[in-house]
Amino acid sequence: METRLMQFARALRAAGVPVSMAETVDAAGALTALGIKDREPFRISLRSTLIKRTIHLPVFDELFPIFFDGKAELPPDMDNALDNLSEEEAEQLALALRQLKDDIADSLRRLLRGEPLTRQDLNQLAAMTGLDRARNMRWNEWMVRRMQAALKHDSVRRAMEEIAKLLGQVGFSKERLDELREMLQANIEAETGQLQNFAGQRITDNMQARPPSEDVEDLLHAPFGRLGEDEMNVLRQEVRRLSAALRSRISLRQKRQKTGTLDLKSTIRRNLGHGGVPFTLSYKRRQKKPRLVVICDVSTSMRYCTELMLGLIHAMQDQISRTYAFAFNDHLEYITPDLAHGSAQEAVDRVLVRMPPGHYSTDLGGSLAEFDREWLDLVNHRTTLLMVGDGRNNFRDPETGIFQEMARRCTRTIWLNPEPPMLWGTGDSDMNEYLPFCDHVLQVQTMAELTAAVDELLTR
Amino acid sequence: MPDAFSSPNQVRESLRDQGYVCSSEIATIPYLSDQLDKPLLIEGPAGVGKTELAKVVAAATGRELIRLQCYEGLDETKALYEWEYAKQLLYTQLLRDKLQEVLASAGSLAESADRIAAEENVFFSMRFLLQRPLLKALLSPEPVVLLIDEIDRADAEFEAFLLEILSDFQISVPELGTLTARVQPLVFLTSNNTRELSEALKRRCLYLFLNYPELEQEIDVVNLKVPELDGALTRQAVEMVQGLRNLDLRKHPSISETLDWARTLVVLNADRLDSGLVSDTLNVLLKHERDLKRVQQRLEPMSGDGPEYQGPEDEDDQTRYL
Repeated sequence: METRLMQFARALRAAGVPVSMAETVDAAGALTALGIKDREPFRISLRSTLIKRTIHLPVFDELFPIFFDGKAELPPDMDNALDNLSEEEAEQLALALRQLKDDIADSLRRLLRGEPLTRQDLNQLAAMTGLDRARNMRWNEWMVRRMQAALKHDSVRRAMEEIAKLLGQVGFSKERLDELREMLQANIEAETGQLQNFAGQRITDNMQARPPSEDVEDLLHAPFGRLGEDEMNVLRQEVRRLSAALRSRISLRQKRQKTGTLDLKSTIRRNLGHGGVPFTLSYKRRQKKPRLVVICDVSTSMRYCTELMLGLIHAMQDQISRTYAFAFNDHLEYITPDLAHGSAQEAVDRVLVRMPPGHYSTDLGGSLAEFDREWLDLVNHRTTLLMVGDGRNNFRDPETGIFQEMARRCTRTIWLNPEPPMLWGTGDSDMNEYLPFCDHVLQVQTMAELTAAVDELLTR
Repeated sequence: MPDAFSSPNQVRESLRDQGYVCSSEIATIPYLSDQLDKPLLIEGPAGVGKTELAKVVAAATGRELIRLQCYEGLDETKALYEWEYAKQLLYTQLLRDKLQEVLASAGSLAESADRIAAEENVFFSMRFLLQRPLLKALLSPEPVVLLIDEIDRADAEFEAFLLEILSDFQISVPELGTLTARVQPLVFLTSNNTRELSEALKRRCLYLFLNYPELEQEIDVVNLKVPELDGALTRQAVEMVQGLRNLDLRKHPSISETLDWARTLVVLNADRLDSGLVSDTLNVLLKHERDLKRVQQRLEPMSGDGPEYQGPEDEDDQTRYL
């Protein structure tokens, strides 16, 4: 049982659930306490000790039956449909089968006889359908369908109908035919079950063989433009972790930093215990949580940067008293309501559905003008203005006057640009025009730089 | 320590005796927590009975419940212990004469200092230690149930500070050394999931996700707590509440609100649910203006007999936040 438990923990880890050694030990302890005879207490012991986040519960529910219902090892129960036939009937059936193409006839015969797939068959199927390379549970269904297609379940069903017609003509009774059909159907279902178990098992094996890469550190320093989908997933997780770390660091810093003037009343109160001798001083503390206005470019080149940036901001909302997020391509849109529901990724996806990247021309100047018309009152002395974009404006009016006004009204203007400074001002980039009005311009090409930028944003 | 429970079934029965209806899963996990001496972290939406679970476990085992309500800015002086400065000061004043006596025969300054140092532990003893909930739970001679409520409201540092207590059931007080629990308490932590708790904390706990109960279970709860309500009406009412939980509302009605509503229906002598009654008493269930309006709109087409509640329909009004 221990080995099985370790394998299970490994599979959970591979599926992205953090399971520590200590938790595995706890699980073993829980099993000792509750025993492993009954399935339900067994499941509860594992679930309460190994899973600590709601989002991981579905992963557990998916993997648990694969590991512990123990069907995968055993071939499924199938009935031999031919047992009930009389000799004459069997002969007629064999004759009818000869009318079919060889491979389908073989499959049908095998399914009617109720012969389960052997390990070898399954391995062959796995190699054929690419199951060997699948490393994610979401491929499970798809793989099963592919294997079913490889086994020609559909053709077999159709063939059965053809044969039924033939057999009907030579005098098979209707009941007999229905019986045959039902048994075939039952056997196909049993085989599908076998395939499902096999696919689940094989995918978890694959996941264990190559756990998700540990080179998060490298990813943090990889440019956004070069990230693949898998790497983005790793990064998204990393964003969550980073934001948690950042958040506590920032709240500590805000709490501990000595700012403001001496608070006489509170100092006296605090030092009553020392007979009024001021050992510890209190300060009047005015915490300035930034009010943030974010204006994001959502064109294709900026997409990854935008998503991760919004993800980070989304995760840190409790540190920022008010966040107003805008996205623009050829026009400006207010996207804070999108961020209010669900994950940052979903939010950004929603925004991108409304504002699809494609045949439009980025209009930064126009968007600034729109902001000026509709939203300028959001920018006041408490606001930090955060621009995320490459400053490329398709040779339109950069509206620097408006930008200057916005920068004048807010406390700080920060521009995050994914392009290296060398490229600013080349082609349609108006970055150099905006540059004089920004307090900070940071080149944010990697996750590490982005984190540093957010840290900067919230602590100064 | 004697175990609080002998089997998961016994947990379930004794909780039921206290008026707490739960599934076998919910009963099994406190049993495990007791067996493994591990704290239990309970998460779930507001009002599903997380805190209640800790309370009834305390009642069922006859143990004292020590509760620590977390909030932003909670620190160890509020949660753990504090030196009672005022009392210390008072004692030094009162004992001045005695101190003079001790010091009178001292020959040199060094000797007097030594003598005072020898008496130091009088002032840094348990006598002057103000026990806050966590320390109280550890030092209690009787086994207790410690409830750390809404841990997600406390700051992240506070979590780190809990780790020593949760894994070793001990506390280090610099002046006194390490204080270890006499009897290990049963520890429950609850969280509304407003923020992600640290991995380190979660690793030390067992985990239980409490969700809204199933239909039958909630009917059980209402039957148990509001037996005056007619059986058929109870079912109708609970079905309606369960329907409400499927809607996209700002706050879904919790179990306690179901009970409040059931009591309201008893007070109003309702014998059947019709749309007028429902719409009049809806504010017992829903606490947001927007939610109320929304549900009332849905109620209007109802022809006045029974809660023919259609589950969630397509989202017609995308709420604007501006």
